[in-house]
Amino acid sequence: MIQDHLDIQLIAIVTAVACALPGVFLVLRRMTLMSDAISHAILPGIVIAFFLTESLSSPLLILAAAGTGVLTVVFVELLQRTKLVKEDAAIGLTFPALFSIGVILISRFAGNVHLDMDAVLLGELAYAHLNRLEVFGYNLGPVSLYVMGTILLLNLAFILLFYKELKLSTFDASLAAALGFAPTLIHYGLMTLVSVTTVGAFDAVGSILVVALIAGPPATAYLITNRLSLMLTLSAVIGSVNAVSGYWLAYLFDVSIAGSIATMTLLMFGLVFLVVPSRGLIAIARRRTRQRWEFAQTMLVIHLFNHEGLPEAEAESEIAHLHEHLRWDPAFATQVVKYALNNRYVSQEETLLTLTERGRSVAQQALVQ
Amino acid sequence: MQASEAKAIEVTDLTVAYQDQPVLWDIDLDVPPSVLLAIVGPNGAGKTTLIKAILGLVRPAAGNVLIYGKPYEAQRRIVGYVPQRGSVDWDFPTNVLDVVMMGRYGALGWVRRPGKQERELAMHALEKVGMDAYTNRQISQLSGGQQQRVFLARALVQDATIYLMDEPFQGVDATTERAIVTLLQEFREKGKTVVVVHHDLQTVTDYFDWVMLLNIRRIASGPVDETFTPENLRTTYGGRVAFITK
Repeated sequence: MIQDHLDIQLIAIVTAVACALPGVFLVLRRMTLMSDAISHAILPGIVIAFFLTESLSSPLLILAAAGTGVLTVVFVELLQRTKLVKEDAAIGLTFPALFSIGVILISRFAGNVHLDMDAVLLGELAYAHLNRLEVFGYNLGPVSLYVMGTILLLNLAFILLFYKELKLSTFDASLAAALGFAPTLIHYGLMTLVSVTTVGAFDAVGSILVVALIAGPPATAYLITNRLSLMLTLSAVIGSVNAVSGYWLAYLFDVSIAGSIATMTLLMFGLVFLVVPSRGLIAIARRRTRQRWEFAQTMLVIHLFNHEGLPEAEAESEIAHLHEHLRWDPAFATQVVKYALNNRYVSQEETLLTLTERGRSVAQQALVQ
Repeated sequence: MQASEAKAIEVTDLTVAYQDQPVLWDIDLDVPPSVLLAIVGPNGAGKTTLIKAILGLVRPAAGNVLIYGKPYEAQRRIVGYVPQRGSVDWDFPTNVLDVVMMGRYGALGWVRRPGKQERELAMHALEKVGMDAYTNRQISQLSGGQQQRVFLARALVQDATIYLMDEPFQGVDATTERAIVTLLQEFREKGKTVVVVHHDLQTVTDYFDWVMLLNIRRIASGPVDETFTPENLRTTYGGRVAFITK
């Protein structure tokens, strides 16, 4: 039982990391939709290869599906090149066509075999560890762990080896081309990897949720960091956290593991979106509030500064009547005065406000700007 | 053909078309070494396309481009390219130093990673464009002028003999424009050839010594004082230009 828990979580983690790594480049290339297209369009490839091999874990299955995946990219780009449809429409036209071929093939020919629609759409992580690799009678662990592990290593090797090329062609494709780095080749290399990864992950999470694993962790990491290398590492970590927490969520509520992992991916994104320093919603809201107070304070010191030393100065700086002069809400005016007093921009002498040296220089600066 | 090695860039009979729509019609252009050449022409004249065709980024329907007598593929190392600032995503997760180091990627070749030497070259280039205080700045936090300086520093570390620049003055402040011009003129003094897609007709005579007037066809090219005439400009802009020559 404990072994089952471990196996499934390990498969989930390896799958999540394998998806997140190429996902970083898809997010940066604004191509996450393409991964969704690939994950659907590889279905006919899987079905046809399944008919040929009658096995769901044959390497041929992965190759055939990856081929269909790359074909999807080619189709989309050909359609786009006609300039009659834009990229989103081209994707929207291509993958349902291929996916539906897969669906028809399954419903027509695979009615009695182990290739049902639910597994295709949602995956079956709960059973993924049951199919085990046995060599000479030794149980070496779940097959899907080996498959995903290999794919993970492949992705890692590609990204480590061509890190600089991937970075340049993602950031500035025309310079990459001018320097002779063949961005088209890199593009198709990446797309092949995405296809292979998608097929591998397919078994575990199905065709719909795989895009959550590809797009979710990188999009979350992108909120946190400004460095590509860190974005890759963080995506892997976030993907793993999502996988493990998703697994336990599913265990707790006895629901689909893939669905729980995808839910955790979304929750994690939402959480980071809220709390991340400087770019998060909370940080933005706090900054706005602070700016509002600062601006009000500046208005106050400028008001005092403008009337300083003039006959009407006393009337203008009477705390109780400030809000009338500035047309502020009395409560707001009291708050602003308190804020400015705290910052030592003004000082209070009985019922009058006077500028401090600091407040005066702030007013002068603000007026110069 | 023997004389072609004396030409930094030699474009012959170059036609670029999208389907049957010509973007460049039978362009001939000779650029001698160590000149500062402006390519000017109205919107849609094919200025950017010409630069891209020289760099082999768009496939010509006809014609040929030679860099010091050889095709571009053989001369990549000596050609530096500054694309339009707007052509890249400035939200990309990287910093100023990293972008400048990209200029060394060509010299590094496949797989090899930039190291200490590349870092030093990049630092030096950033000093040169007055951006050394921004080394670790995230690129999305730069102003337009600063972005352009970063691009220029990236071109600097390429240490090229020929530079092709697509609107380096676009959307930059007056100080940056000054700084760029000074740098370009320094390039020329060192015998480098600089080709610039340029928009501001008022500054052509101040900044450049050669000019090419382009509007799908080549209208004229040559030294500014001979070529940059009201008549040629009228032909290029279809008489819609109100321009006073000095």
